[in-house]
Amino acid sequence: MPTAIGQEDVRNYTNAILNILDDAHDERARLDDFQKAILNVLDDSNDERARYDDFQKAILNLLEDFDIEKIKIGKTNREMAREIVEREQAEVAMREAKAIADAANRELEAFSYSVAHDLRAPVRAIDGFSQMLEEDCGSRLNDEGRRVLKVIRDNTHKMGTLIDDLLDYSRLGRQDISRARVDMEALAKEVLSELLGQAAGRALSTSVGPLPPTRGDRTMLRQVWTNLLGNALKFSQGRDPARISVEGHLSNGEAVYIVRDNGAGFDMKYVHKLFGVFQRLHRQDEFEGTGVGLAIVSRVVGRHGGRVRAEGRLGEGSFFEFILPGQDASTQGGAP
Amino acid sequence: MTISGSVDIVLVEDSPHDAELMIRALTKHKLANNLLHLKDGEEALRHLFGKETSVPRIVFLDLKLPKVDGIEVLRKLKEDPRTRTIPVVVLTSSRENQDVAECYRLGVNSYIVKPVEFESFVKAIGELGLYWMVLNQPPTAAAVA
Repeated sequence: MPTAIGQEDVRNYTNAILNILDDAHDERARLDDFQKAILNVLDDSNDERARYDDFQKAILNLLEDFDIEKIKIGKTNREMAREIVEREQAEVAMREAKAIADAANRELEAFSYSVAHDLRAPVRAIDGFSQMLEEDCGSRLNDEGRRVLKVIRDNTHKMGTLIDDLLDYSRLGRQDISRARVDMEALAKEVLSELLGQAAGRALSTSVGPLPPTRGDRTMLRQVWTNLLGNALKFSQGRDPARISVEGHLSNGEAVYIVRDNGAGFDMKYVHKLFGVFQRLHRQDEFEGTGVGLAIVSRVVGRHGGRVRAEGRLGEGSFFEFILPGQDASTQGGAP
Repeated sequence: MTISGSVDIVLVEDSPHDAELMIRALTKHKLANNLLHLKDGEEALRHLFGKETSVPRIVFLDLKLPKVDGIEVLRKLKEDPRTRTIPVVVLTSSRENQDVAECYRLGVNSYIVKPVEFESFVKAIGELGLYWMVLNQPPTAAAVA
């Protein structure tokens, strides 16, 4: 018996088919989406791939750069090694040069030692024996004989002074400088009054103003005052009255000391020669001297880290100024 | 120099001219009566360490001497208890600081730089001689022993 298919059944069937078709359509859309998603992922992966390639290239570049750097570093290392060798060689050369300089210094010391001993002794003998001649046989000499003898003795004295001055000068270059507070005003007054004792009978007007103290070697600084004030007295001989003044002040932390006189002065044309050893700007028959005094002044002031300056006018007087560094600066690096 | 009995001054000096000047300077101050002049360091040591030697009041010692130099003579004298109390005055031309320092380190009694000028020399020697021969009181033999 044939089954009768009802209208209801057909409707249900049709609905089911429509549902299935609907589902298939959805499925298709999902599939499309999925495909799109996959394509997108593939796209991204391509980008990733490109980025990865770039990255790899960058790393390769870096490795290349690194190799170049390595070569450079190797070169620098070799250069440094060479420089070290060169420096070592330079150091050896410097040590050798220092040894030579030290030896030369020792030789110089030995030289001044023998100057001290070997030159002074015969000068003393000449002076002593000419005085013995004068004492023992003076009555048998005529005036000319006595004059000649006096010339011998005067020159011997000069030579003795010269040797002693030179030794002083050379010793000042080698001797260590002691650093202590020095009352410059008291020192200048002390030296001046000593010198005035030897200049009795002269018409003199002297003044020592307030002077700033300093740090330095008292014995050496005493020599500076002795030479400057001694010169002022010597070159103002014949002035009535001779005026000698000492002044001082602080300027920018430096101590300035000035010695002025109204003596013979000097021509500024020759000022550059003034502080040289054996340099004299006056004839022996005008003023005696060995030409070492101002060289000593310049050396002592220089060794104290200071400077010295002079001005003069022929026939009117001289002006000597020495400047010592401030107390703080002068204590640095100095021997204790 | 004739030595009769005791010696007051021992002069150790190799330069005959310096010695003559020295003796003349001492004579001027009437101090050279009992003076013995020795001409090198070896002679000085032989004399001063001799058994028969009387202790001098003063030794004037030059530094630059043949054979044994003055510093060595000074060292030997000041090292030995028998000679340590003899006053030693170094008389030299050297004004080198190292010499002065070394002599004082060894115990020198005085260090004099001989003046170049004879008049100053005579004056210095006179003062020295008077000081050591007249003013200075030496230790007695008992005190030394």
